[in-house]
Amino acid sequence: MSQPSPEVYERGRGMDAHNLVMRELRGKRDDTYDPSEPTRVWLDEDHTPDGIQQSLTIILNTGGCRWARAGGCTMCGYVAESVEDGSVTTEQLAAQVEYCVEHERSQADSPAELIKIYTSGSFLDEREVGPETRELIAETFSDRTRIVVESLPDFVLADRLEPFLDAGLAVDVAIGLETASDRIRHDCVNKYFDFIDFEAACSTAADVGAGVKAYLLLKPPFLTEEEAIQDMIESIHRCADVPGCHTVSMNPCNVQRYTMVDELFYRGGYRPPWLWSVVEILEMTANADAIVVSDPVGHGSDRGPHNCGECDNRVYEAIKAFNLDQEPAIFDRLECDCLDTWTMVRHKETGYNQPLVD
Amino acid sequence: MTDWFEVLGRDGPGRLGELRIEPSLNTPAAVDDVVHDGGSLWSADREVPATAADRLTILPHRGMPTGTRAVVQEAFTPESPAVQGPTAVVVSPEMAANVGADAYVLSGLNGLMGDARRFIGAITSTRMAIPSDTALYAPGVATPATLPLMVYAGIDLVDRVAAEVAGMEGRYLLSDGASPIDQLTELPCACEVCVGQDPNELDRASIASHNVATLEAAIAHLRDRIRAGRLREYLEGQVRHIPWLTAGLRILDAEWGYLEPRTPVVRQGRLDFTTDDALRRVEVLRFAERVTQRFIPRLDDRPLVLLPCSRTKPYSDSPSHRDFREAIDYRAHIVSLTSPLGVVPDELELVYPAQHYEVAVTGRWSANERTQIADILASYLDRAEYPRIIAHVPAEGYRAVIEQAVEEIDGPPMTFTVDGHPRDEAALSALREALEGTMRYPLERRLDAIIRGIADVQFGEGAGDALFETPSISGRYPRLRVDEDGEQLATLVQQYGQLALTLAGAERWLTTAIPVRRVSIEAFVPHGSVLAPGVVEASDDIRVGDEVIVDGPTAFGVGRATMSGQEMVESSRGIAVDVRHVRERR
Ligand code: SF4
Ligand SMILES: [Zn+2]
Ligand SMILES: [Zn+2]
Repeated sequence: MSQPSPEVYERGRGMDAHNLVMRELRGKRDDTYDPSEPTRVWLDEDHTPDGIQQSLTIILNTGGCRWARAGGCTMCGYVAESVEDGSVTTEQLAAQVEYCVEHERSQADSPAELIKIYTSGSFLDEREVGPETRELIAETFSDRTRIVVESLPDFVLADRLEPFLDAGLAVDVAIGLETASDRIRHDCVNKYFDFIDFEAACSTAADVGAGVKAYLLLKPPFLTEEEAIQDMIESIHRCADVPGCHTVSMNPCNVQRYTMVDELFYRGGYRPPWLWSVVEILEMTANADAIVVSDPVGHGSDRGPHNCGECDNRVYEAIKAFNLDQEPAIFDRLECDCLDTWTMVRHKETGYNQPLVD
Repeated sequence: MTDWFEVLGRDGPGRLGELRIEPSLNTPAAVDDVVHDGGSLWSADREVPATAADRLTILPHRGMPTGTRAVVQEAFTPESPAVQGPTAVVVSPEMAANVGADAYVLSGLNGLMGDARRFIGAITSTRMAIPSDTALYAPGVATPATLPLMVYAGIDLVDRVAAEVAGMEGRYLLSDGASPIDQLTELPCACEVCVGQDPNELDRASIASHNVATLEAAIAHLRDRIRAGRLREYLEGQVRHIPWLTAGLRILDAEWGYLEPRTPVVRQGRLDFTTDDALRRVEVLRFAERVTQRFIPRLDDRPLVLLPCSRTKPYSDSPSHRDFREAIDYRAHIVSLTSPLGVVPDELELVYPAQHYEVAVTGRWSANERTQIADILASYLDRAEYPRIIAHVPAEGYRAVIEQAVEEIDGPPMTFTVDGHPRDEAALSALREALEGTMRYPLERRLDAIIRGIADVQFGEGAGDALFETPSISGRYPRLRVDEDGEQLATLVQQYGQLALTLAGAERWLTTAIPVRRVSIEAFVPHGSVLAPGVVEASDDIRVGDEVIVDGPTAFGVGRATMSGQEMVESSRGIAVDVRHVRERR
């Protein structure tokens, strides 16, 4: 049975252990952030259900994810980007929004059609972002086409989406599902909710006319390269089959500081996924009934998804191109000696000999 | 306890074994072709797979990559179901425990390659946590270079995976390490793949084939080395090519509690001492410890003559020592100084490894050698009461060592009798002169000292006097037998310098205060040997090659241990004791 709430994290010894370790690791941080500035803001272009659009991505500093305070996900270092005592006022949030609008005005020729708002947590969690701020953001960006807001499934409720829908925006909720497998989500990622909670959130969103973009994690810790690939392919197909979920974003795991993944990586027990795996998955899921994109953050570095070092840039560029046109033919021309190594890793890596190569 | 694996031979912690699947496999071995992986429980719930006699089934597992915290491991380590047939269970160094499997798969080794301390620690702590008669499998890490140290440390099973992956990465493996293929001008190998080939014509699959062939050859070589009892000699040289492996050997050498019980007190092969690491060998330190702690110098009412060792063993057979002995003519106690054993009293020249070693002789000792020998000599002299010391040794090397030792313990007066070579006529007459006026001692005193001295070293401090009261020793050295009250108690085994007890000798042992090495057996009368399953209890301090008493409700006997005491108790297969004499109890 699912108990979709960050407060209910007593899900057995495994979750207790993960939370214990993650709390300790996060406790080592001593940096703090100015709550009147967003964590990050940048301009880009994105593949949306309406085609390719200019995008403005905002990471609001809200005090961070409630689940992360309990310990939280094994790969997630975002909470660290939040303010120390966890309280960000409505005024400070308004200042952050203003900062982003300013940034866009100074950097872009025209306002972006697509607005993406993340919070290192859940934008729809009222403990992070209150109703006033929601209204303010809806109003600020009411002249745009589409808005994407990030949230855990628990907070996907009709009334929280309405301000944006009422402003005439197409609304997508980005949900960090990570994997369709409850077992892997619980045991490897340490995320507390179940796939049915994601399905419920999708149906809530669909009922009010919003869409869902599922965020999936390629290669959580403890999985082999091949298990990670199979899990991702399966997850993409299962997400695509859920009504309301029109886009899947595959995030190859990168090693973030103050996380369990970081500790494993540091000790030699974790290797981020190969870029070849990303390519393989995109090819294998080209027929899925959803837009599948991937932004391999940190590509080419030891701490991010990488191949042999020689081919990383070429492969990354191909993935970026695929994100925009969804044309798998771009991958056909890619070649490198390390393809054989990757193939062997797929065949020979096991739960007990991983990671087989650096 | 396992029916599917048996340890057939040992060389230190390294083992020769048999994985008793069908067809059986001599270990150390690569098990790629016979392993069946039941799959990871991280990614899915899994049924316990059916086992079969022709393969080693790895039960469904949660591998713990290096760096997984103990709390996480504890929370996620699955229960191991009891399963019939040959099975292996995945363990981590932190969580290894006896769960009744035939083999244990050590997860998380990959992350430790290059980290000598943690790599060795992972192997030894796991080996100690699982029963000694089970196989230990190191997956995904064996290369021709890393294999010898792994096998020496106690790994039984490996695979070809790391060698294959290295090939795919363009790394060409040999027992002295890896080279990127594009840095080779010629291929230093005549295997099927390499013969007549140019390095830059070799594709990666071919490099992988070469790597696997080299690994397989290395495995066979190691099996043979263990059979011959000469694994250590090879290892000391081989690890030198790769600094972290050299460090690994030294770190392992510091684990006395792991190595000592696994090192036989006697064995067949010759010991070659060719590196400074030989100074830390269990055989060397054990000999020094026994000579300085157990052995009682019984001829120390005489002057002590210190002699250089000789290449011919036993020393007394060498031409140089014959000359020295002629000059000494039973007027003094002879002790030979040698690297790396330290001191070898005349009585112990047959005792393993005093007549079983060879050194690289240059006449120069390293600083480590000098310190070690001086320390041993000082502790030896500290327990003796010689009236004076005659150092009949070459000036170079020996002299400084002796002076350092004698000074350290404020020893008796000392004369040096060699100016040039110890066999020079001048030196020999100086030796004769130095002993002028000293009385000869009778041959019986010498033989008595030999038998008691060997007993001290073999059975424990004071054993020579406790076991024998008024022995009559007959035969011609080194073939000696010991009788008392008209009954034979023991024979001197020339080959190892050990006493082989008779039943009467064994009974005598029981009446002394010397700790008895006892193997308690079930109610049967062993003929020829005691098998491990018949052992009820065995003293902890029994080592391979030790004289032991076999004791059961229906039999009393004496023989030689072929396993350590701990192994006898833990093993379900194999010979525990070669029984020499036995009688039925009524
Ligand atoms: S991944 Fe999301 S839910 Fe998990 S800790 Fe990070 S912000 Fe919280
Ligand atoms: Zn490459
Ligand atoms: Zn070759």
